[in-house]
Amino acid sequence: MITLAKISIIRGETKVLQDFSATIAQHQATLLSGPNGSGKTSLIQAIAGTLPIDTGEISIDGIDPYHSKAMELAKLRSVAPQRRTFSLAFSVAEVIEFIPARERANHWGSTLELLGLKKLLTKKVTELSIGQQQRVSLGLALIQDSKFYLLDEPFSAQDSEYQIRILQLIDELKKERGVLVVSHNTDSLHSHFDQELFIS
Amino acid sequence: MKRTATYIGLITVLAVLFILSLQIGILHLDTSVFSLIGKHGSVAATTVWDVRFPRALGAVVIGGALGIAGALAQGIFRNPLAEPTLIGLSSGATFGTIIGIATGLAGYGSGVNCLAATLGTAMAAVITLFLAPNKNFGFLLTGIAFSSILTSVSGLIISISQRPGIQSLSFWNFGSLSLINFATVRVITPFILVGVVLALSLARGLNIWSLGENTAFYLGMNIRRFRFVAIIAIALLIGPAVSAVGSIAFLGLLVPHVVRLIVGPNHKHLIGYSALLGAIVLLIADLLARAAFAPHEVPLGLLTSLLGAPILIILLRARRAQWVSEQ
Repeated sequence: MITLAKISIIRGETKVLQDFSATIAQHQATLLSGPNGSGKTSLIQAIAGTLPIDTGEISIDGIDPYHSKAMELAKLRSVAPQRRTFSLAFSVAEVIEFIPARERANHWGSTLELLGLKKLLTKKVTELSIGQQQRVSLGLALIQDSKFYLLDEPFSAQDSEYQIRILQLIDELKKERGVLVVSHNTDSLHSHFDQELFIS
Repeated sequence: MKRTATYIGLITVLAVLFILSLQIGILHLDTSVFSLIGKHGSVAATTVWDVRFPRALGAVVIGGALGIAGALAQGIFRNPLAEPTLIGLSSGATFGTIIGIATGLAGYGSGVNCLAATLGTAMAAVITLFLAPNKNFGFLLTGIAFSSILTSVSGLIISISQRPGIQSLSFWNFGSLSLINFATVRVITPFILVGVVLALSLARGLNIWSLGENTAFYLGMNIRRFRFVAIIAIALLIGPAVSAVGSIAFLGLLVPHVVRLIVGPNHKHLIGYSALLGAIVLLIADLLARAAFAPHEVPLGLLTSLLGAPILIILLRARRAQWVSEQ
């Protein structure tokens, strides 16, 4: 379980989040929404352990992410950031290899299939479209063997077919794990999520 | 398949160049080097086995080290232009070497001197990382400025030092294999070998690292340890090389770019191939330095710059440098 207890986050001189509390359970899909600049990404980064919080407490299964070892955290949470920059011309297969087969979650094969990555394996990641790159980035996060998946705007560059496929993936993932999805556009998403959080 | 063919091709080229390095030089040999195998005593045999052989061996070891160091520097700093001579790492090595010699702690070519150069490189790497953590244009400018400071201080020390064996600033800035002998090769090789092993151990990490520090952390990489090992590796590759032959510009910039064009960006292959190509380029450069203007020997680093810089410009203009700008 991820527990957020009255957390506040300050970025530079602006308070991006104040006294926010929530719990994100396993076997559930949680949708986090809110307008631009409301602190959704900051919240993901704080849970991910890359952004310190000002006040309050965050725990993932009792562990404080900002003060934990990278290896330990990787087993608890996996993160698909809004953007990943692929600066080197790796093939998609090589990017997937960043996580060796023996360390991947057992759903890795079906995940790559659903994300349409199996037919892109020999393509250079730098030559893919933005939407395809986003799916590679998502694939890398989803094959990591973690208890929780934190996905920041996973639908933003996807057409309707892949939006549906990603929702399918989330339905599958939450059977065994927990999923937190950040999205500013929630219209068609409600039915897939067990909990909705809103930041104003 | 392509990789295996490339590998065999490069090994063959390396072997041919090595033999040419024994054959060609200021002293003209009437016979082939093969006829001198097992022979000692004659002027020709002494020239080949005691002068040219260690020099060619040194070129292979140092060229390989600089090739890998270039690949490492570009990988760690996530910058296609992060070249050891450009960002102050070689100046750090020179600085360490000169301090060692000037204080009388370590003579040229000694193990202690090699260590001093390694520490100097590590110091420069830490400061470069600390001063300019971002991978943008400012990083390069900071590196260049920092490099100038170290070079100037080294020059000052050389000017006022009375120590024999401190060499000229030109030697350190432009590099030359002319002082290499068996003893030097024996001193630097163990350092460099440890650097090579560490570099190979970083290959997977460097791949992940290319997606940014956050992604590396998300995937469970221990960032501090990675940085630490990377700095030690790069210091063990550059320090000993520079302590023996001075700064050789452009090799570390050019070699990894060419290798990426051939075998792609995966560091699991990039490191090994960069070592091979680095050795080849340095052997060619040294052959040219000795033979092109014979009987004069020209500084090696001048030639690597003269050959390397235009090729790099062509590569970058062709937009095939396999490195999309992160700006």
